[in-house]
Amino acid sequence: MMPVCTVFFLPGLGLDATAAAPLGEALDDRFRLVPIEFAVPAGEPDAVDGSVDALTRTALAAIAREADGGPWILLAHSMGGKIAAAIAAHVLAGRTGPDGESGLFGLAGSVLLAPSPPSPEPMSENRRVRMIGWVADESTLDEEQAQEFLSGNIASSLSDADSASALQQLSRFPPSLWRGWLEVGSREDISHEVGTLDLPVTVLAGDDDDDLGSTAQPALLKDVYPRAHFVPLPSTGHLIAYERPNEVAKAIVELWDTVIEPAPQTPAEWGRLIASSRTDVEVRSNFAERAVPDDATYAPLALTEDQLATLRRLADLLVPQPGTARIDLAARVDARLAGKPGDGWRPAGLPDDRVAYRLGLDALAQTWPDSPADQRVLVGRLVAGEEAVAAFPTAELSRRWFEDVRVDLVQSWMAHPASQARIGYDGFATGGTAPEPVGFSELAAGRRESWEPRELGRLGDRHENHDQEQHERDDA
Amino acid sequence: MNLDGMKTYQDDDEVDVVVVGTGAGGGPLLARLAARGLRVVAFEAGPNFDSTDFTQDELTAPRINWLSERISGGDTPTAFGPNNSGMGVGGGTLHWGAFTPRPDPRDLTLRTETGVGADWPIAHAELVRYLVEVERDIGVSGPTPYPWDAERTYLYEPVARNAPADLMALGCERLGVRATDAPAAMISRDREQPHHGLRRAGFNLGSIHQGDRFGTKASTAITYLPAAVADGAEIRPNSMVTGIERDGSGRVTGVTYLADGVERRQRCAALVLAGGGVETPRLLLHTGLANSSGLVGRNFLAHGAAQVWGRFDEQIRGYRGYPSALITEDFVRPQDADFAGGYLVQSLGVMPINFATNLVRGAGLWGKELMAALDDYRFSAGVGMNGEFLPSEDNLLELTDELDEWGLPRAEISLSPGENEKAIERHAITRMTEMLEAAGARSTRVVLRSAHTLGTCRMSIDPSDGVVDPDGRSHDIDNLWICDNSTFPSSLSANPGLTQMALALRTADRMLAG
Repeated sequence: MMPVCTVFFLPGLGLDATAAAPLGEALDDRFRLVPIEFAVPAGEPDAVDGSVDALTRTALAAIAREADGGPWILLAHSMGGKIAAAIAAHVLAGRTGPDGESGLFGLAGSVLLAPSPPSPEPMSENRRVRMIGWVADESTLDEEQAQEFLSGNIASSLSDADSASALQQLSRFPPSLWRGWLEVGSREDISHEVGTLDLPVTVLAGDDDDDLGSTAQPALLKDVYPRAHFVPLPSTGHLIAYERPNEVAKAIVELWDTVIEPAPQTPAEWGRLIASSRTDVEVRSNFAERAVPDDATYAPLALTEDQLATLRRLADLLVPQPGTARIDLAARVDARLAGKPGDGWRPAGLPDDRVAYRLGLDALAQTWPDSPADQRVLVGRLVAGEEAVAAFPTAELSRRWFEDVRVDLVQSWMAHPASQARIGYDGFATGGTAPEPVGFSELAAGRRESWEPRELGRLGDRHENHDQEQHERDDA
Repeated sequence: MNLDGMKTYQDDDEVDVVVVGTGAGGGPLLARLAARGLRVVAFEAGPNFDSTDFTQDELTAPRINWLSERISGGDTPTAFGPNNSGMGVGGGTLHWGAFTPRPDPRDLTLRTETGVGADWPIAHAELVRYLVEVERDIGVSGPTPYPWDAERTYLYEPVARNAPADLMALGCERLGVRATDAPAAMISRDREQPHHGLRRAGFNLGSIHQGDRFGTKASTAITYLPAAVADGAEIRPNSMVTGIERDGSGRVTGVTYLADGVERRQRCAALVLAGGGVETPRLLLHTGLANSSGLVGRNFLAHGAAQVWGRFDEQIRGYRGYPSALITEDFVRPQDADFAGGYLVQSLGVMPINFATNLVRGAGLWGKELMAALDDYRFSAGVGMNGEFLPSEDNLLELTDELDEWGLPRAEISLSPGENEKAIERHAITRMTEMLEAAGARSTRVVLRSAHTLGTCRMSIDPSDGVVDPDGRSHDIDNLWICDNSTFPSSLSANPGLTQMALALRTADRMLAG
């Protein structure tokens, strides 16, 4: 089975990419698990100094290398959790990565394991000093120190193989990174840069962990991730990926099955185009935010719960979405009603948009028929101006209000990158912040350029050679 | 645009001229007055955008449109906001489609010819001199020779045709309709624009209504306004003019304006209103000035702007390329007309949200039919009309009791087409449908809409028949002028932008002549 989602694993302090092994076994083959390596020995070109910035750059570069254009999840443990927040902020802002040109696209959510927060990580000063002392002479941890760290971070013993692997990782962990994280990275406060991340997130934390345990996490993260779902794990310490790989896998599967998969996915080729340097930074950010799966528990801002429910019923009829995936168009219209300015006008005889929505939806709810056939008849009559909503004086005014509702819903659908891919619109990848101005050079019907998704036509003559080179590069 | 180092004036300085608005009316006029050494300040309600503020994201692009709510009524309420407005230094030219046909001489004498509509109190030949000057100033591309005007030459060769243009050309050829590359204020070769810098050609962006970063499309923000600033004009962004001050004799002495929520006043010797067909009459009705004719806000004009879309076998993807790259003027006076005046037809490619919105508003689609039509987007090519709209006092702009964010009463605009407009629209829809079918469309769909905001302070020789004289000067107040398309006595079949810029230079010359 082809993987449907990439899981980027960001290990915690003392561990390296090898720590992904138990998760790899626990996850089913819909998921492509890609561990990120922070533990590069000092002196090597990819060595990391332990600052949030350096760790983030390393992770961004790795994700850029491995991303296939499809959806991806961040799976981050401890130290990696802070980096995951920085990455999410980076991606949702559409920013370009370490190459200064292209960005990332496709972040759908995070699963965080006893994560270090964007604020300074709570840690007793004694413990910090003691741990820094272990690498005072720039040596790696000795066997005893590794054992102390391992024992101190688990609630029950690991299998022999896992234990041996963890100890091995600890004993080869680069001392400069160890010290750098404890002295610098863990103490940095990136809360302001990270801000609020409107992302589906599951936070697993152990009941037997200390500073980053299940009782501590909500206070540390609820303002960062308003949609965070906190899952306490009994009889679990800090090394969750080793202690509870099946629970971690379950959290990923659940996030995918219940939140991400029900939302529309932007096809990988389109995702790569959005990530590419052709696409404007702000557009990439808008798309990244709109591609985030909707919150099933969304609390309306401009409407009441009942009004939102009515609007959802209308959305299903007015803008029926293809396939089984759904954008919560009603919630997105509600958010627009609450925030951004409208479209600059409204029909005479109607109150302002927000009031009109409330009145109209309340009135419609009163007469909403049970049978789908009757619902369609009602909607058809409203569209045709043959039916007055009780809130408005005439059928014609009701029609004009309903026209605005239909426009708002279809605009919310159309603005989603998956919708734009569906209808074959790639104009977003022109006219923006690319290093050189980019536009279109092939304008003929049936023809496309080499950078455009292949479904958009045959290659124009002048693009054929270039396209072949491009594909050879892709294949390489 | 770059306003660094701009000359600035104090509120207490009595400047020679205050100009309210920086679009197709205010921009050229400001440049002309500044070039002649006048001390001028332009007020712009919106911000001063950097070119990087223009976004390809269609949902958030309306930051360059006037989003303070207008109330739209009548039988066919016209859409405002992204449909026909701009806000920010550059005004409506940030948003405009840069489609620059010249007005047909017959349209300027429509009443003489047909007994309906209005004549323009301006000679076509005089207007042409200014049109040519504007085309040179801003860089207009187009075909030479021009099929409907043997005298005309264009500075730049036409911009590239896109797929909808190819199809309209094919359809027209098969029907024996003349069609050619459209005149457009889009450069087809790189151009060094004085006081702005390099403008780049050749990117074929279909998103120009969202603003253009590369300077291919002319806006006043990269043409007339930089020239004005270089000549000592001041442009004051985020400054909404809310009142007009006068002396005992009734002459204008200054304006009050809101900047960052603070009310200030600027003294001036003369005032030019250039806020467009909605904001100018709104301010005049609010202040009660210049309305002895009772015609401020009357005769609101739009253009009938129906579209027909055809579904083709190939992927058209009309979002590539200049959106209206082909034109026919063969229907400015159709042989078989049962109406006065006529219309232009242009090829069409539009952005996806615009397409979806028009399918809902203009074609009444919903549900599965709507979604199927959206799936046809990539296979769709359009043609659109710009049709004469006869003035009627029943089409008007009035003030409501509701106040906007500056404390000014909101405008309510009523628009109902008359029999002539309906007849033009019927004719155009028939012809446009034929064109697409001749080009091989499998099916066609009509989208009804209107565009542009004209006529609410029309010019006239007789003071009882208009708000300003043919120069743009108020019939009532001799140091108050209007320089925007509210002065259009009739809509013309040509799109208004180029004509308005020409009128702006002309009004400036008349002001300078004293």
